[in-house]
Amino acid sequence: MLVLAGGAAAQTAPAGPARFAVTEGTLDNGLRVLIQEDPRNPVVAVQIFYRVGSRNELPGATGLAHFLEHMMFKGTPTRGRGEISRLIEQNGGRDNAFTSKDVTGYYVNIAADKLDLVLDIEADRMRNLLLDPAEIDAERQVVMEERRSRIDDDPEGVVYEAMNSLAYVAHPYRAPIIGWMSDIARINRGELRAFYDTYYQPNNAILVIAGDVKAPDALAMVRRHFGPIPRGATPPPMTAVEPPQQDERRLVLRKADARLPMVNIAWHVPNYTSPDAPALEVLSTLLSEGRASRLYRRLVYEKRMALGAGGEYSYTSLDPPLFWFYATLLPGQSPEAMEQALLAEVEQLKREPVPTEELQRARNQIEAAFVWQQDSVFSRASVLGRYELMGSWRLLEDFLPKVRAVTAADVQRVAQRYFVVDHRNVSVLLPVPAAGADKPADAKGSR
Amino acid sequence: MSGPRRAASGLLGVMLAGICLAGAVLAAGPLAHREVLPNGAVLIVAERPAIPIVVVRVSMPGGAVRNPADAPGLANLTAELVTRGTAHRSGPELDRAIEFVGGGLDAGAGRDSVIVTLSVLKKDLSLGLDLLAEVLREPAFPADELARKVADIQASLRRAEQNPDTVAARTLGPLMFPGHPYGLPPAGTVESVGRLTREQVVAFHQRYYRPDGASIVVVGDVTTAEIRQALRQRLAGWKAPATRLPAVPRPAITVPAQTRTITRDLTQTTVLLGRPSIRQDDPDYYPLAVATYVLGGGSASRLYTRVREERGLAYSVYASVQPGRYGASYVVSLQTRTDAVAEALRLVREEMSRMGREPIAAAELELAKSYLIGSFPLRLDTSGKLASFLGAVEDNGLGLDYAETYKARIARVTTADVQRVAARYLDPATFSSVMVGK
Repeated sequence: MLVLAGGAAAQTAPAGPARFAVTEGTLDNGLRVLIQEDPRNPVVAVQIFYRVGSRNELPGATGLAHFLEHMMFKGTPTRGRGEISRLIEQNGGRDNAFTSKDVTGYYVNIAADKLDLVLDIEADRMRNLLLDPAEIDAERQVVMEERRSRIDDDPEGVVYEAMNSLAYVAHPYRAPIIGWMSDIARINRGELRAFYDTYYQPNNAILVIAGDVKAPDALAMVRRHFGPIPRGATPPPMTAVEPPQQDERRLVLRKADARLPMVNIAWHVPNYTSPDAPALEVLSTLLSEGRASRLYRRLVYEKRMALGAGGEYSYTSLDPPLFWFYATLLPGQSPEAMEQALLAEVEQLKREPVPTEELQRARNQIEAAFVWQQDSVFSRASVLGRYELMGSWRLLEDFLPKVRAVTAADVQRVAQRYFVVDHRNVSVLLPVPAAGADKPADAKGSR
Repeated sequence: MSGPRRAASGLLGVMLAGICLAGAVLAAGPLAHREVLPNGAVLIVAERPAIPIVVVRVSMPGGAVRNPADAPGLANLTAELVTRGTAHRSGPELDRAIEFVGGGLDAGAGRDSVIVTLSVLKKDLSLGLDLLAEVLREPAFPADELARKVADIQASLRRAEQNPDTVAARTLGPLMFPGHPYGLPPAGTVESVGRLTREQVVAFHQRYYRPDGASIVVVGDVTTAEIRQALRQRLAGWKAPATRLPAVPRPAITVPAQTRTITRDLTQTTVLLGRPSIRQDDPDYYPLAVATYVLGGGSASRLYTRVREERGLAYSVYASVQPGRYGASYVVSLQTRTDAVAEALRLVREEMSRMGREPIAAAELELAKSYLIGSFPLRLDTSGKLASFLGAVEDNGLGLDYAETYKARIARVTTADVQRVAARYLDPATFSSVMVGK
């Protein structure tokens, strides 16, 4: 049975005059359900989130969550390989999936009258995955190709991977989401099966539906398709805790395929559970968002040192994330000077409160982005699911008030508190000349 | 980490910038209001009142196709500079004004057009339109901003060389469109950009940022009457120049197939096969759209099934037709580990040949039609997507009823049409190929 909060229709996202009510409930088997009616377009976004990501993996078996995500398209006893996506496309829909450090999500955008089909498919593959050995081996090659594209042949992918391994020593955020190549090559069917059975349970999932549907009808459909699935065992908690960093850590990467140097500086910071998080969010925006943002204006526009620069923070991370300062250098600039320039910006943030105009601009940008995100049922479903994963979609209601309350003193305080030298992780990407590269060899006409 | 499928777009920066209109079917009722303003610009308005946001997309004939032969990159540089200072405000002043209200005002040159996009909350529309009008009509092109932008573009071009997709695409362009501006790198080269002068930029702006040939698409929380009035006030003096807009030649549809290999120390090889193709004014375009979906358009496609699912040879493999205003390109793309290139290419070429050799199955035809017709509402479900669609339909001369005509034409396609068109446009022997890798 579904338990509805506060009658059928509950709260709404906080910004703007446009209000779309959220209906929420939990099936007896533990499946969380959020439904948001939006009749503006005859479409629906259906997204199911499993509370599992690379943070739930162990050394020697990294990439399991992502590998399993690929296998979710490879068939159940009633639907063969590729049939799920074919069915979606046949009905004019588009589907895909993603794996992050914290969560694995599956999404379908489709005409609203196809909701029943989508729910039937998602309920089927929640518990009935085949995990055929031949399909696993073929897909293993695909995942290895994906890793080559995203990481091995992309200097910035290599830097990102190396920085996480540098900054985290005990927490699984240190491993790449896609996994180490040797793990992808080795992972076996038994491990995939065990991982699936542990985490792909109704009581470990959040189902979000946003679009041109009626909440009571959609709820009835959800109940029909997912209700018969029994509750699973509660998955084990992820217990790793990153110890406080004691000393600065540094890394130099020399890549022949890189063209411009890059400097990254990352600090350990808290996530949304901390009262400091809204100030970190505002800080990230005022450092990075737009051409008036501080790092663009200083390092790109005024000093002419960088092609691009910013500061990035992940407010919604389930465990404490990193706050990144990054800059890609203009040709002829030195990485040493760039590191000093970035650190000078950090010192200024610690020393001087940010001017009122800058602070207000950042708050306005965050508010405007919040309104824009409501224009898309896909975005709204994603955000609802993300906040539910963090504890409750109702956390969304507090987000803008918290952002509005951030003061210049708050920004200065968090900079002083977290951007300290002993908690710093620094990487420098240096292009090195490649032997014999860049020759357009064999410039011959074929035929 | 997204996956398991990568969207078949965004990889081909130097190909045609015309958006793919495959799958366009109109819901009942007009999508938007259209009128021609006294200065010749076309105004298109779609009222979407529920969310207090507004998108204004202004398209003008200042795309890369207008680059003089000796000045590749001029259209791109001009577009980059119109937001870098006007008669009334410096670049940083413009940035601060629009970003203080959480809005955006950006210009970019595509293949065919330059597009200036304003995104603002409804309450800030008046400010946004003031800034937009300044940027369109009174850019100052300050010399110091030009010097900065030239250096930035040159650095971006250098950085793009670390991306094998970009390297492959810039290499394929001139093979598909020899002697035509479509074949030139849209942003130019490090050398060509370094030679561009302020005089050239000013002249390019005067010549191509003009109301005749422009479309202004407005989508969001506005009424037609309100936006008409607001634009009339701000664009009153915007008149077409006396000089006629020069014609652009159509690129050749048949060109010699060539091969290029670019050596890079990578673990994968990026392969692009490409040739010129046909656009929506050719009746064969619709069977070709069906053929493309069957060959390499989705996760049920032949390339996806054979190359990825059965053999595990690629993460990304797809085919796409990319129509623009003056011509179209057809590209098949894949990335695979170095030692598997020959096998993957053999499979791809065999599937391309088979499209013309044998009729597709009835089930494949039905699947393609269902998808291309049925997925249409997903293309219009945000203000931004709707603005892009309406602008592309107008700019490419397809008519506001294009969605309906598209649906009807797709519905009429037969397996014989698909085979005939595939034999003509998908023969692998007619495709140039580029490989980037070891």
